[in-house]
Amino acid sequence: MKTTYAILILCCLLFVIACGTAKRGTPHYASVATTKEAVAKGEVVYNIYCQKCHPGGATGVGPALNNKPLPGTAIRFQVRHGMGMMPAFKEDVISDEEMDNLIAYMKVLRKAKDKTK
Amino acid sequence: MLVKRLLPFMLLLVLSSCYRILSSEGGGQIEKSPNARAINAADIALPEGYTIEAVATGLTFPTSVAFDAEGRLYVIEAGYSYGEVFLEPKLLRVEAGGNLTTIATGEKNGPWTGITYHNGNFYVAEGGELKGGKILRISPKGEINALVEDLPTKGDHHTNGPAIGPDGNVYFALGTATNSAVVGPDNYNYGWLKRHPDFHDIPCQDVTLTGQNYTSEIPLASKSGKQTTGPYSPYGTPASAGQVIQGALPCSGAVFKITPEGGNMELVAWGFRNPFGLAFSPTGKLYVSDNSFDVRGSRPAWGTGDYLWEIQQGLWYGWPDFTGGKPLHNKSYAPPGEKTPQRLLANHPNTPPKPAAVLGVHSSSNGLDFSTNNNFGYAGEAFIAQFGDMAPQVGKVLDPVGFKVMRVNVQNGVIKEFAANKGKENGPASKLKSGGLERPIAVKFSPDGTSLYVVDFGIMRMTKENSFPQQNSGVIWKISKK
Ligand code: HEC
Repeated sequence: MKTTYAILILCCLLFVIACGTAKRGTPHYASVATTKEAVAKGEVVYNIYCQKCHPGGATGVGPALNNKPLPGTAIRFQVRHGMGMMPAFKEDVISDEEMDNLIAYMKVLRKAKDKTK
Repeated sequence: MLVKRLLPFMLLLVLSSCYRILSSEGGGQIEKSPNARAINAADIALPEGYTIEAVATGLTFPTSVAFDAEGRLYVIEAGYSYGEVFLEPKLLRVEAGGNLTTIATGEKNGPWTGITYHNGNFYVAEGGELKGGKILRISPKGEINALVEDLPTKGDHHTNGPAIGPDGNVYFALGTATNSAVVGPDNYNYGWLKRHPDFHDIPCQDVTLTGQNYTSEIPLASKSGKQTTGPYSPYGTPASAGQVIQGALPCSGAVFKITPEGGNMELVAWGFRNPFGLAFSPTGKLYVSDNSFDVRGSRPAWGTGDYLWEIQQGLWYGWPDFTGGKPLHNKSYAPPGEKTPQRLLANHPNTPPKPAAVLGVHSSSNGLDFSTNNNFGYAGEAFIAQFGDMAPQVGKVLDPVGFKVMRVNVQNGVIKEFAANKGKENGPASKLKSGGLERPIAVKFSPDGTSLYVVDFGIMRMTKENSFPQQNSGVIWKISKK
């Protein structure tokens, strides 16, 4: 029962977030601080697998990711299960360690966006 | 309990996905083109310490620039654009103050897609939409000589390049005739299938087909009614399983080299779709930008990025069965509500390599050049002009993609914005109602490497069926360190 609720809430959250705010979030030169090793590694993962549909965290073929407070679990869920038109990325493609780095990078990417005009 | 009953419904809602529900919002999807193009360098954002200015305006379909031995700037006007506009291509010198002097005028067989200067002559790639592609040598006085001609590029994509290699040879590329190797209704809409009803893609080596065929119907006079078409075949010619299509040179979707005097063409690599930009890195490696699949025609593919490839001699890079090194026959590349693109080739020449970088889906990542100068910055990185999406014709985007200049670390594939329009939304200036970038198509560093020239094709409005390029709206921008 608990998990059912959890999944339900997660689904609602993802849906509302994805459809509600599809059109925002150009990054505009906020320099993303990649001094932390995990963030630098996550940036590479992002560019190989995510950038083409979510360019710079902004809207493209997929919705913007840098304009909403997506919790790490929601990102992880979306990437592993790939809902809607988004493909799933399993452990043999993006390892658990790469996933941690990816999420670290995406959090920095969102913060960087907040600082730009 | 209610939750339990609601759950399948909620899941369905999520799985049905808002991507499917939302309509396309491409950069060219504007009500009408503005009467005149506004130009305001202040509308363009750059990293701290750089400045941008317009050095030539009012150009019609400019596609590339070059510098002669004295460092003077030249530009080519394509003479053809999607939307079936045929004009005379031109080589123009940009004088101080932005005045233009005509050096040479070509025949209506554009688009002239690229130019470079080498040992006293210009080398130009002539697209060949009407008569087939050519590589031209143009003297500083404007005499035009074709080094090669009859290149098979009368279709969707053209003869591209050229770039001079460290070996002194002229490298160039040929785009494919079609989106994904099957001639069909999209090619009829583009216009060329009416002119060349038997034109199709040519493999560089013998290929064995799986026998996959596609059925379509278009009002083509010579082939009306339902037609069945196989890959690498004329419209209306079906394929059979095990059928061998003979390879031939020149072929589609490939990179070649010739000496500056012409002579024999040598195949460098193949299996590209539209290898548009060619440039050598400071370490002498050839890099090529490649426009990826569209969601159009008989074999549409969804969600494939544009690629930057490092070129290795003799390799096959995957078209029409792979994208970015991965098999295209995978449900993640099926457009919403459509079939997964089927495998066309029974055997593959080699396992395709991984790309150096993956750029935005539909970004139309085109001309590229490498920074070599530490005073400008980012030495060793590739700069790429993004023409921007041609949605809704090529597929659906939720917001404009491209319309910028990116820089790419070719070691790890990390891509960053370098020049883009200011504002909350991304897009070409005509959509944002600003005076910034429209459709960057090429970038080139000055011979000393201290400034970057951005060739901006101008305004192009898009609908599902057609493209509406606007004459006299092209610009050359110059970016320098403050
Ligand atoms: C082929 C294109 C594509 C790729 C590649 C892709 N995505 Fe997505 N993504 C989408 C689409 C489309 C959606 C929206 C789902 C829908 O509406 O069908 C989405 C949605 C999301 C969401 C939910 C956003 C929201 O607003 O709820 C997250 C988080 C996400 N993607 C993260 C990623 C990450 C991280 C990667 C890289 C590992 C990635 N995506 C790769 C296309 C893509």
